[in-house]
Amino acid sequence: MPKNIITIWKKELKDTIRDRRTLVAMILMPMFLMPAMTIGMFKLMDKIMKDQEKQTVKIALSGEDNSPELAEMIKSQEKLEIVSMNKDERKAVKEEEIDAAVVIPEDFQEKIEKQESASIDLIIKSTNTKSANVATILSVIITEFNNQVLQKRFSEQNIDSKILSKVSILPEDVATEKETGGFVLGFLIPLFIVMWSIIGGQYTAIDVSAGEKERKTLESLLLTSVKRRDIVFGKFLAVSSVAFVSVVVAIGSFYAALMYAGGFGPMDATGSGIAGSVAVNFSIEPQAILLLLAVSVFLILMFSAIILSISIFAKSFKEAQNYIGPSYLVVILPVVLVNSIPGFEPTLWYFAIPAVNATLLFKEVLMGTYDFGHIILTMGSLIIYSTIAILLAVKIYSKEGVLFRD
Amino acid sequence: MQPILSVKNLTKEFKGFKAVDNVSFEVGEGEIFGLLGPNGAGKTTIIRVIATVLAPTSGTAEILGFDIVKQPEEVRKNIGVLTTDIGVYERFSGRENLRYFGELYGLSGDNLENRINELAKLLDMKDFIDRKSGKYSTGMKQKLAIARSVIHDPKVLIFDEPTSGLDVLASQTVRNFMLNSKESGKCVVFSTHQMRDAEKLCDRVVIIHKGKIIANDKVEVLKSKNNAIDLEDVFMKLVKSSF
Repeated sequence: MPKNIITIWKKELKDTIRDRRTLVAMILMPMFLMPAMTIGMFKLMDKIMKDQEKQTVKIALSGEDNSPELAEMIKSQEKLEIVSMNKDERKAVKEEEIDAAVVIPEDFQEKIEKQESASIDLIIKSTNTKSANVATILSVIITEFNNQVLQKRFSEQNIDSKILSKVSILPEDVATEKETGGFVLGFLIPLFIVMWSIIGGQYTAIDVSAGEKERKTLESLLLTSVKRRDIVFGKFLAVSSVAFVSVVVAIGSFYAALMYAGGFGPMDATGSGIAGSVAVNFSIEPQAILLLLAVSVFLILMFSAIILSISIFAKSFKEAQNYIGPSYLVVILPVVLVNSIPGFEPTLWYFAIPAVNATLLFKEVLMGTYDFGHIILTMGSLIIYSTIAILLAVKIYSKEGVLFRD
Repeated sequence: MQPILSVKNLTKEFKGFKAVDNVSFEVGEGEIFGLLGPNGAGKTTIIRVIATVLAPTSGTAEILGFDIVKQPEEVRKNIGVLTTDIGVYERFSGRENLRYFGELYGLSGDNLENRINELAKLLDMKDFIDRKSGKYSTGMKQKLAIARSVIHDPKVLIFDEPTSGLDVLASQTVRNFMLNSKESGKCVVFSTHQMRDAEKLCDRVVIIHKGKIIANDKVEVLKSKNNAIDLEDVFMKLVKSSF
C-alpha cells in the first residue's frame, strides 16, 4: 500500500478522535443507546404482557336469578369484573361505561330442564377491543357450562359421560432454543449492524470531505504531490475504520445489555422475563461471529465509499448532512421491510441486493443456518458493490467542478 | 535567462466565460515575478491551473520542463503554492500540520524535523508552533500556511495574496521570506493587487485585466514607458487605455 495512503489514514483517524463530536457519534451513542434501547424494549414487552394478563373486563350481568349456576361461573372468572347497572345496558356498552353486558333470559333454566337449546344474550361494541375479548372469555365459560349440562343429562339417562371425550390438541414446539433466541435477535442484530455501518462512519465521512472543503484545507491537500486516488483511499480507510469500531461497540454493548438483563438485572422475582429467556436460550457460535464480522466489513466498505462520494458534492457540513439524511432512509426502509415481513422466504436473488442481502444472511446465520450459496452471493455482490463505490469516489474526487463548486 | 516556469498561451473557460485568456509569461531563477491585477482579474485561476488543481481549456505551462497536463504529480512536487483562502487543521498543532504535509511530500525523520525547525525560525513561528492551530491569529495561520506550502523546499514558489489581512510586522516577515527565497535561487511568483508591495519586491511584473495580459515588463521600464510615477499610476493608465 502506498505510504501516502497510510499517512492520510492515520491523520484522519487522529483528527477524528480529537473531535469530541465524532467520539460521541461513534462510541458513546452506540455504547449507551443500544443497551438503553434493548433493556427498555424488553421491559416494555414484559410490562405489556403482564398488563394483558392482569387486565379485567367490566361487564354487567342481568338475569342472575334465571340461572344461578351459570351466573356463578361467570362471576368466578377472574378476568371478568361484574358491575351492577341501574341503567340501560345497551346504552352503557355504547358509551363504553362497561365493556359488555350479558343477559340470561327468563326462560333459560326452563329450556335447559326441558332439554331444549337455550341461549344467552351478549351485548358488545366491536370497536372496543376489550369488548371483543368478552366473547372469547364467555365461550370458554359456556363450553364448560355445556359440558356440565350434558353430563347431567347423560347421567340422568344412565349413559357414561366418557362419551363426551372429544378431540383435544397437544402442541409440541420443535424449534430449538437457538432458533427461538435467534428469532428475536435475528431481527435486532442485522438491523443494528446495518444502522451503525452507516451512522458510525457518517460523521467522519462528512468531516474529511465537505468539512475539509468548508475549512479551506482541501485545496492545500490537493496541491501536494499525492495522487488523488491515494487521498481518497486514505480517507476511505479512515471512515471505514471508524464505522467498524462503532458497529463492534454497538453490537458488543447490545449483547452485554442482553446478558445483564437476562442474568440478574431488572427482571422481577417470578421469572427472567423475555430478555432473560432470549439471553439464556441464545448463544452465538464462534464461526457465526467470524462470518458476521466478515460480511459487516464489506457492508461497511460499501457504505463508507458511498457516503464519502455523496459528501464531497456538498460545500459545507450542513449541506452534506442534508444529502445523506434521505439516502439513509433509502437503505433502512427495505432492510426493515424484509426483516419484519412474517414468513418471508427470500429467493436467491435477494442475496444480491446490497444491505438487504447482509440482513437476510445475518438472520440465517444467527438461527444456525449456513447456506453456502447465500454466503458466497452475499460476499461476492458486496465486494463488487464496494469496488464500484470506491472507484466512483475516486472519479468524483478527480473532477475539478466538484472540488471547486462555489 | 533559462526559464524555470513558462506559461504558454494559457486559456481557462468556465461555462463559456473566459477567466484566463491566452496568457503567456516566463519566470527565471532568482527572480520575484509579480502577477498584478484587480480582484477578479484571473490571477487565482492562473495559479490554480499552474498548480494543476484546475485543468486548462487550452495552452499549457511547464515547470522545470514538466508539463502541467501530462505530468501533474511531478509539477506538484516542484512547486509550493500558497492559496488565498487558507485553512489549517485546527485540531492539530502547527508542528503536526507541517509534519503531515512533510510526510505527504515524502519527508521523514530528522530531515523533516530539521526542515520544520528551519521554517519556524525563518518565519518567526517558534512561540506558537506547538500550540493548537485552531487558536491562532490570522497572521499566525498565514505563517503556518506559508511554511506548509514550502515544506518540501520546492524550486518554484507561488504566493497568492500572501500579505492580505496581515499586520505590519507579519507582512514584513512574509516579504523577507520572499526575498530570502529569491536570494537562494528560487523562482518566486507573487500575486497581489497591492501595487506598493509589488513595486518594493518584484523584478518583473505582468498586469492582468479581465483575464488578459495588458503589460509584461520590468517595473522600471513600465514606469518610464507609461510616464508614470509608480506602479499604481502605470496600472491606472493601462487599464483606462485598454477600454
